[in-house]
Amino acid sequence: MSMFSFQAMSLKNKIFFSTLAVIMIISVIIALLARWILISGLSSELELRGVAVARSISERAGGHLLDKDYPALLSLLFEETRLRERQHMINYVFVTDRENAVLAHTFTRPFPDRLRHVNPIPARAEKSVRLLRINSSPAYDIGVPVREGIYRIGSVHVGLNKTHIDSLVAKLRFMFLGFISAVIVIIFGISHRLAQYITSPVTKLIAISDELSKGNFDVPIHLGPQQGGWDMSDCPAFQDANVPCWHFDDQVPGRAQDGEMHHGPLGKCRECTFYRRRSGDEVIQLADSYINMVWSIRLYRRRLQESEGKYRSLFNSGPDPIFVVDCSDYTILDANPRSEELYNYSKKDLVGLFFPDLCPDSAREFMDMFDEKTGQDGCIYFPKILQYKRGRKPFYVNIHACPISYRGRRAVILAATDITEMMEKDAQLIQASKMKTLGEMSAGIAHELNQPLNAIKMSSEYLVMIAESGRRVEEEKLLDLFGDISVQVDRATEIINNLRAFGRKATLRREQIDINAPIRGVLSILGKQFMLQDIDFRLELGESLPLVVAHDNRLQQVFFNILTNARDAIRERQSKSGTEFSGMIRIRTTGGAGQVTVSISDNGSGIPLHVRDKIFEPFFTTKESGQGMGLGLAICMGIIRDYKGSVEIGDSSAGGTEFKIYFPGAESGPGRTVDDKGQQHGKDSGNR
Amino acid sequence: MEKILVIDDEQPTLKMFSLFLDAFGYDVVTAESGEQGLDAFRTHRPGIVLTDIKMPGMDGIEVLRRIKAMDPGTEVIVITGHGDMELAMKALHLDAADFINKPLGRKALEDGLRRAKERMEVSRSSRRSVVLRKVKEVPVVRIKGNLNTHSEPYLRDACAAAAGEREDVLVLDFEDNASINGAGIAALTGIVTDVRDRGGKVYVVGLSENFKKVFDTVELSPMVEMYPTMAEVPDLPGGS
Repeated sequence: MSMFSFQAMSLKNKIFFSTLAVIMIISVIIALLARWILISGLSSELELRGVAVARSISERAGGHLLDKDYPALLSLLFEETRLRERQHMINYVFVTDRENAVLAHTFTRPFPDRLRHVNPIPARAEKSVRLLRINSSPAYDIGVPVREGIYRIGSVHVGLNKTHIDSLVAKLRFMFLGFISAVIVIIFGISHRLAQYITSPVTKLIAISDELSKGNFDVPIHLGPQQGGWDMSDCPAFQDANVPCWHFDDQVPGRAQDGEMHHGPLGKCRECTFYRRRSGDEVIQLADSYINMVWSIRLYRRRLQESEGKYRSLFNSGPDPIFVVDCSDYTILDANPRSEELYNYSKKDLVGLFFPDLCPDSAREFMDMFDEKTGQDGCIYFPKILQYKRGRKPFYVNIHACPISYRGRRAVILAATDITEMMEKDAQLIQASKMKTLGEMSAGIAHELNQPLNAIKMSSEYLVMIAESGRRVEEEKLLDLFGDISVQVDRATEIINNLRAFGRKATLRREQIDINAPIRGVLSILGKQFMLQDIDFRLELGESLPLVVAHDNRLQQVFFNILTNARDAIRERQSKSGTEFSGMIRIRTTGGAGQVTVSISDNGSGIPLHVRDKIFEPFFTTKESGQGMGLGLAICMGIIRDYKGSVEIGDSSAGGTEFKIYFPGAESGPGRTVDDKGQQHGKDSGNR
Repeated sequence: MEKILVIDDEQPTLKMFSLFLDAFGYDVVTAESGEQGLDAFRTHRPGIVLTDIKMPGMDGIEVLRRIKAMDPGTEVIVITGHGDMELAMKALHLDAADFINKPLGRKALEDGLRRAKERMEVSRSSRRSVVLRKVKEVPVVRIKGNLNTHSEPYLRDACAAAAGEREDVLVLDFEDNASINGAGIAALTGIVTDVRDRGGKVYVVGLSENFKKVFDTVELSPMVEMYPTMAEVPDLPGGS
């Protein structure tokens, strides 16, 4: 119990009471020792003096005893007793003979007989001391034998007043206690001051720490005796949070400001206006250290606030929507004002919204990213993600996603860029390029269409002629003719359908397609024309290839561009080597391991090595000016990249160029779900 | 029976040609490519050849060149895509007799073949293809058959003679079967430009539809006034 209460005591009281207790204990021990030494010393001194008196009496009393001159003896006793200060000390003296009969005594009243037997002297002893009471006052009786030669002829008893000793002892004790009390009082004062000296800075530190914990960083710090102009606003690092300080910015070597800082390995001020260490005891050093610490915290806090403010304003004023999404439940934790604007939701609605709801088509990708299943560290880029604003209005964004820690939770910060307009421009560009290609092809297409038209025209004119001439035609021949007409109409229709499919603007939605389909589509338009230009095709189209997520229409455009380039290369070689040269374009599709490869190789003039890196750049063309904008392959590249594909250019074995285009195969699992949803959305958009 | 060779890579077209030409009473030989066509030409030596121009492998122009090299007198009629005058002109420069547009109508075919036969008659009878005569005091240059490298000097002579008679007016009267090749067109262009430079007028009469197009293409049409027949030509101002 006492231990607990001691523990609960303040440090000041602990120091105070401990010091006091130690001093008290020491004082008591000293007092006891002193008392013992004094009393025993005084008593023995008194005894010695008594023995000396008794001896001197016994020596002088010997003759009187032998002479039996008792009056002389008595006068001797009185003489001795009355000598100087002995009278205060000696109570009585008496002399006995051999038979212990009292011969003389100094009592003014009758001799108390019991005294004769109180202190007998043993036979050979030189003295005998005994404490006894005379008239209710304590006294020492000192007996000394009186000897004549070897014979003992009597004894002398001197009674010493004990009260005298006691009064002496009392006097000494009083003085001693007084002294110790004075010491205690002084120690009391000193320990009180000491305790206060040690504990008062601690108390202040506690008070300041409490204030700091409450967030009040402006609490004035007054510790230690002298403040010495310790103003934190003097420090350049406090004025400007960009100024690094070697005390904690040792990661910013050499980034010091001229005049203020050294260009050393650390940004160290020539004379640090803040960090200092005064000479002094530990209490002062503790106070200094504490001030430095608080200052560091203040500085860090200021920097943090500045940084926080900076990022907050970036977040708030950013031109693009920014979301913070919780990785555990995929809900939006925070969103900036721009996202409210773009997504047409209020912040209240956005916060807590299930993020994949904004982009149902790419939900799987995002959930994988939130769950860290993508196998990628750091930021992830999601291009051309279809999202929906309020009211299911679709639009396209590029999204940068970076993992962060948000209020102690694992989260992802997503910055979205609205690219709908860009996508539309893209589509327009692609469409324009397609229209241009179609324009270039128009003569060929007209020729192509003319063939069935010609056959139909001739058939019908023939029939008219027969009818006019009134001749009979066998029914079989007639049927054959009509059949021919129908076949030719189908042929023309097919050409028109292919053209229409090619010229149609691609929808935004992708589908899973067999890569051979667009190749066949393009060949149906180009095949015949290329043959008219002495270019043959060799098709090695693989069977049951993985499907590709793309637009049939746009892939046709890619192949269209590559094939017309191949044609141009072949024509260039033809014009150099004469018409005898016959062109050959080989198209091969292979698949496997989730990838589809299309290889298109020609035996044309080839692409010089030094321009191979450039041919996919926009506005790069090897053709004469006016022949092309140089956008064809750039657009192709853009389309291929959209479908996460890639292109390689190499030499073909036939001496021309080989384009190898790789597409990732559609995943059957998630791809399927996307496709299902896609169809659903397709219907939705159809209803609108 | 007149032998005729048809070269076209289009099987249905060939079939229709056979039907038509059969009905017209020709001995028809067909070939599906330029190479086959040349072989057939060597074997059958037809007087008239109809050839498509756009064909895989050897094209119609090459076929025309080779046939003309083998037998310059052959009437080669090229079949062009609709309105493709560029190729038609190219063929005319290589002495093609005529051209027919696809899609090809019965009348165009009949006319083309008739004109070809008439030209063959003209060249067989070795009549002069360019004749100068006078109608109502106005010199008229009548052109029939092929206006080609051979007949070009006669045209120049006739026109010079006409100019001698009257400087301000030149009437070029084309017979329906008249065919003009590259050299003929060049000569005509020179003559028309001369008359125009003198401040005179050129009247072109009876030009077939095909060659009207050729005139359009070489931009002769705006420089002349065209009439279908001599009867429709307005009364020419009397010579001084």
